[in-house]
Amino acid sequence: MSVPGMTETTEAVARARAGDAEAWGQIYREMGPAIFRFCRRALPTREDAEDATMEIFSKLWEGKLSQYDETRSFSAWLYRVAANHCWDILRRRKIRQDKETEDIDNVPLEHPDPNQLDRLIEQKTSEEVRHALDKLGARARMALVLRYYSDMSYDEIADALGVRRAFVGVVLLRARHELRQALEGKSALAAGGTS
Amino acid sequence: MNEPANPLAPEEAGGTTEHLDEMTCLLYAERQLDRARAQAVSAHAQDCAECRTLLRALDRESRLLTRAMLEEDEPLPSRLAEFQERARKSFGWIWGVVLGLAATGVYALYTGYVEPLQQRLEQAGFGGTSLLSLLVFQGAFWKGWQSMMTLFEVLAMVTVAGFGALIFRRRLRRGSAFALVLAGLCAALALPAPAGATEFHKGDTYELAKDQTVHSDLFITGARARIDGTVDGDVFFFGQSIDISGHVKGDAIVFAQSVRVSGQIDGNIRSATNNLNITGTVARNVLTFNETVNLDAAGKIGGSLTAMGQTVSVDGHLGRDLLDMGDETIISGTIEGEVRSKGRSMSIASTAQVAGPIHFEGEHEATVDSGAKLASPVQFTQEKRQSQYEQGHYYVWRIIWTAAFVLFGLVLFLLLPKFAAEVVSAGERVGAPIGLGVLVFFGVPIAALIAIVTVVGIPLSVLTVGVWLLALFCAEIVVGAVVGNWILGKPTDTWGLIGRMALGFVIVRIVYTPLAHVHVIGALVGLGIWIWGMGAIALALYNRLQPTMPQSVMPGPVPPVSLPPHTTVGGIQPA
Repeated sequence: MSVPGMTETTEAVARARAGDAEAWGQIYREMGPAIFRFCRRALPTREDAEDATMEIFSKLWEGKLSQYDETRSFSAWLYRVAANHCWDILRRRKIRQDKETEDIDNVPLEHPDPNQLDRLIEQKTSEEVRHALDKLGARARMALVLRYYSDMSYDEIADALGVRRAFVGVVLLRARHELRQALEGKSALAAGGTS
Repeated sequence: MNEPANPLAPEEAGGTTEHLDEMTCLLYAERQLDRARAQAVSAHAQDCAECRTLLRALDRESRLLTRAMLEEDEPLPSRLAEFQERARKSFGWIWGVVLGLAATGVYALYTGYVEPLQQRLEQAGFGGTSLLSLLVFQGAFWKGWQSMMTLFEVLAMVTVAGFGALIFRRRLRRGSAFALVLAGLCAALALPAPAGATEFHKGDTYELAKDQTVHSDLFITGARARIDGTVDGDVFFFGQSIDISGHVKGDAIVFAQSVRVSGQIDGNIRSATNNLNITGTVARNVLTFNETVNLDAAGKIGGSLTAMGQTVSVDGHLGRDLLDMGDETIISGTIEGEVRSKGRSMSIASTAQVAGPIHFEGEHEATVDSGAKLASPVQFTQEKRQSQYEQGHYYVWRIIWTAAFVLFGLVLFLLLPKFAAEVVSAGERVGAPIGLGVLVFFGVPIAALIAIVTVVGIPLSVLTVGVWLLALFCAEIVVGAVVGNWILGKPTDTWGLIGRMALGFVIVRIVYTPLAHVHVIGALVGLGIWIWGMGAIALALYNRLQPTMPQSVMPGPVPPVSLPPHTTVGGIQPA
């Protein structure tokens, strides 16, 4: 997994684990913004993201950092910590919507018209996508964030979301369908649907 | 599971090909297919324009998603920037200061206000234990008030609601939170009154005829009431005037312009009225806040009379002590206990009989007519007219109260940092908050008064007045923060805002304190501060309740964004 906007800080992590406050500050400066943006994408509100970011780094400060295996990528590990934390928050709040908890195996997905899909993607801006993401259910949004923001592998996503590896593709595909519906709904409204 | 169908069906008999399903295309685009299946998809896509289009659309969708999530559409919050520094700080000393100041404030409140009142009430014969036990545990007082929404209940509700809002604020969207509060309020108001032995009457006039008996408490709201009959329980009255000529076996709790008691009350009278005239009998104590109290020559109070008002006249018989703070005290009847009075003047007529000592603190010595039977001479204390500015403790208390206000502001700003910033920002506009402040300052109490004439409206109006008072209490803090901002510039974080609030508040206090004692000007400046601060709070609340407008979509090409180095673009799963 690669992490956008981050550099590996293995040395700083080692010093931070030894109790070096300056190293802790370096880790926070380098990774705090990216973790905040991750939380911002994964959680419903900006306040939630701020709180979650502080809680994640508080966890690290209070001892979670000792669980990090130095043979692996620190940024990848930190993203997994963040993903688990955000997912725990969402789970605690029980805000997973029905469509996420229902037996999605039984709901077939409609095959898209390629040309129509291509046009939809062509027309949409990043901002519209961000607005549409905010309308998605927790699992769908989390899956998309883990995959397309954190660039996690399917194995890592399966681990973070607690689903089988073979199911990750389905989760992502359904999330994309939800996203398209949200995008289309928005464009229909903008086209004059005021009722 | 919606497992993808065979993605690579062979050519059918008719020469047409079956298209790839979307799941297979996605897995291919995400490099999740094994080599053999990926090559087959690649080969199929070369001959099938539709599947090629789908693959391209999925790939573009992936890129659009990544780009949308990577773009920094909002800045990093300042509190996160401070977090690292704050995490290293110890807050122990801050909480030490907070607790110390809080303890000082409580002590100041107790010694300044509660303890003297407690002593006087004890001297007046209200149980002789403590104010707390008097208020909470003594049956007579508590019995009368427990059916009502007391100040304690309101404060407790506001506190619980505040904590509830803090806990749930992140879980609720703004609209739903507001709807929830409204729904809760409506539900609370719509709930039936708790089952109990209370009879309610609402209307312009109420009359209980001489031969009628109410076998429970009686709760009346209306313009006028007359009780000629018997009430087995307590009487509660909110209205213009009430005449009790019958028999009340419990207490009378009255908020009215005029109260006349010509009958018999076996319990106590607790009242806030304009005129209280007793020509009948009250078996126990009378506690009243009003303009004129008159215990008529034919009237009798079995216990004590505690009055805070302009004129207190005792012509009848008082079984125990008289405690009064007001302007004028006239004694021409009999008092079995002692007298403690503070006011401008005291007159004791020749017909007066006082069995206990008389303490009077006022401007002039009491006038005692010859023939008055007093147990001892009046102990007079000249009211000190020394300027408070010459007294050292005045400045000490000003500093303590200023520190207490700053502490209060600090706690508020830490509890509600965003809202505090919004309030201060609203306050900086000056014109709008002052305009709105005038409306809120005068309008809310009037609305509360209108609401209080209905039984259902009483809790609502008490709650409204409570919120109004809280806003009034916070107004000077808000103005202080605005002034601090003007002096030091915009803060970058909550602690910066708190610092500015503290500085501005101290400056406002320093400027306002001498002005407060200048006739008219002081009152106007104080009023201006209240209106300005309240208006800022109201404006911030108003802004919060406005629906948020969607951000306008920026037209034009998508700005270039560098993709992460390992972003998948489709193809064969890497080894």
